Amino acid sequence: MTRAIRRGLLLLALAWSGAVVAQSDSDLALIPPDSQSPPKLSQHRAEQNIYLENALTGVSLRDALPVAAPPSYDWQERLLLDVRDGWQVGRTARLILSDRLNLRAESDLSFPGRENVVNDLREAYVEWRLADQTYLAFGRINLKSGIALGYNPTDYFKARTVSEPLSADPTVLREDRLGTVMLRFQHISRRGSVTLAFAPRLRRQSPIYSNTGLSSFDPMPGRTNSENRFLLKSSIDLSRNASPELLIYHDGHATRLGLNVSTTLGQSVVAYLEESVARRRDLIAEALDFGRATGALPPSAPDEPPPSPDRSLKNALAIGASYTTSNRVTWNLEYHLDQAGFTSQDWNRWFRSGSAVAAAPVTADELWYIRGYALDQQEQSTEQTAFLRADWTDAFGLKLELSGFADVDLRDGSGQAQAEADYYLSDAWTLGFLAAGDFGSKRSDFGSLHSACSALLSVRRYF
Amino acid sequence: MAMTISSRSWPLWVALGWVLLASTPARADTAAQIIARTDEVRNPQQPFHTTVTLVEYVSGRKRDQNTLTVYAKTDPRTHQFRNLVQYVAPPRDAGKRVLLGGGALWFYDPASKTSVRISPAQQLVGQAAIGDVLTVNLAADYGATLLGSESIEDAGRTRRECWHVQLEATDDLATYSRVEYWVEQGTYLPIKADFYSDSGRLLKIAYYRGFTRILGTTRPTQTVIIDAVDKSLATVATSADYGYQDIPDTWFQRDYLPHLETR
Repeated sequence: MTRAIRRGLLLLALAWSGAVVAQSDSDLALIPPDSQSPPKLSQHRAEQNIYLENALTGVSLRDALPVAAPPSYDWQERLLLDVRDGWQVGRTARLILSDRLNLRAESDLSFPGRENVVNDLREAYVEWRLADQTYLAFGRINLKSGIALGYNPTDYFKARTVSEPLSADPTVLREDRLGTVMLRFQHISRRGSVTLAFAPRLRRQSPIYSNTGLSSFDPMPGRTNSENRFLLKSSIDLSRNASPELLIYHDGHATRLGLNVSTTLGQSVVAYLEESVARRRDLIAEALDFGRATGALPPSAPDEPPPSPDRSLKNALAIGASYTTSNRVTWNLEYHLDQAGFTSQDWNRWFRSGSAVAAAPVTADELWYIRGYALDQQEQSTEQTAFLRADWTDAFGLKLELSGFADVDLRDGSGQAQAEADYYLSDAWTLGFLAAGDFGSKRSDFGSLHSACSALLSVRRYF
Repeated sequence: MAMTISSRSWPLWVALGWVLLASTPARADTAAQIIARTDEVRNPQQPFHTTVTLVEYVSGRKRDQNTLTVYAKTDPRTHQFRNLVQYVAPPRDAGKRVLLGGGALWFYDPASKTSVRISPAQQLVGQAAIGDVLTVNLAADYGATLLGSESIEDAGRTRRECWHVQLEATDDLATYSRVEYWVEQGTYLPIKADFYSDSGRLLKIAYYRGFTRILGTTRPTQTVIIDAVDKSLATVATSADYGYQDIPDTWFQRDYLPHLETR
């Protein structure tokens, strides 16, 4: 190596090291000044979540529907106190409470009146730690299952539990619901877990509640504990990317088998499948049976649209994936199937009967009862839907969370869509805005609904 | 010809030997050893808990603050940490939990009472991805190459002699594809790290500081995470309230998430 070459290499090395130092210096300039002093530690208890919220909703209703719909409110004002907390009792027991007290006024309620106050006792139970990782709990418990966002066929204790939600977002519906009185045993091991639950019959099943017929302080066991129900579920870690959960559920109508499985694909994608199989009747038959049993429909109510005559093996599933983009938006896309839901033939008959109720042996209220039953059970009215949801935290670099979803009936292309914005004014205060609408022709699943669109403005104070 | 040390020249040879000994420990360390030692410096290797406070800055101004409690324990099979993270503040997020156990990430929301699998890219809070806050042994997830020695300035603009190590992800769940890492020679203190995406794009720059003796070792207690894409954004993660804790393996099952008893 000649001296000139050695000198050239040396200069190059010096220039390179200079570039490195320069880059390092510019990076250091990005460190926020005054960020070195340690922040004050929060004294908040992690188990406690208490907030007061005021929400004002306006609704635009459709006219001249092909099947005349029951009356509905076009404005609602709510003030609610929401409490979730847990307390250690002795060395081995914990007491859990989750409750929401609502004060409400709306266009179809007189004021003041008994119905202006509604208390939702969501959970109240005691859990004992019997041994390491073995638990026994008793009381009103929200036992939830399922990994999909838009539809949870394995969430067997979801039926009849949703209580006056402020949002149609399925992820919110899972929060605003009543628990079931049950005895729950759970054992957790290094490779998985086993849960066994028994929910006893405590009261005769009650009719479907309307928002104008809610009791003020009744915990409503007629909704959650009207028959004996059993659930056995177990998850096992087969590998780090596969830990399926199997479920067996039994009530007075059927035994259902369920499966939940999810897997991570790379850094940004999670794929999942939730499925439930049971030998059962279709939605129309179950709704008519329920209506007659609770007295909501007369015993002579006609089978219209005609339900399937027999029980058969029916599949309900949600299959989908989430994807998180580089700018931190998480998308979920799902396909939903419920073989007990309305077929195209059922929809055609429903609209045909509704268009000519004067001549048909069925009333519009009876036709709407079937769809109200599906809503009360949190089941799909229709066989197949597609669901898309997006969530963007810290949107546009602000303390803003944007979320939205669309649920589309794959038969007729109708659907519902909702967009929501929550702005965090501070750690304590949140300002929220929500807009929702149903789209589709008047003779479609969502286009036939009474509500066309709605908007909600809310302010929330955390304690 | 046999070499002999003359009586007159031995001080020179001793001095030369001393210089060689003083300068060669750095060379004796392989890249993997450096990363393994700095992992031990960053995190206690026995089961422990710590409270992490994340403060977000926009253009140098404080915007938001979150507090998390982290429970960590190494998996003897993989030598990687398993983590259980609980949100403490702000109140709207209190009680939410994230689990990294056996390579899978799960998120638990006490409002919906369900645990769902999430991807490593899903945001935790602020500019910090989940992978930034979780306790990790880099040696378990990355292959290391020693690029050489460099003198760089730390977060306090003090010049430090460092090993420059390049880390390439060997595990699908590693948060970043490539990491450029500067470790101080002798102390094994992490000084700086650059984090890259699959496409080679610089995503984040981290500076370590607040070196304090904790649980028997001098460790960094603050990490400044700078968003390299939008350089007006930065997050400072401060760890405090360290303590050893007996953590059963079953804590790292997703069905344990609702049962976590807060300290």
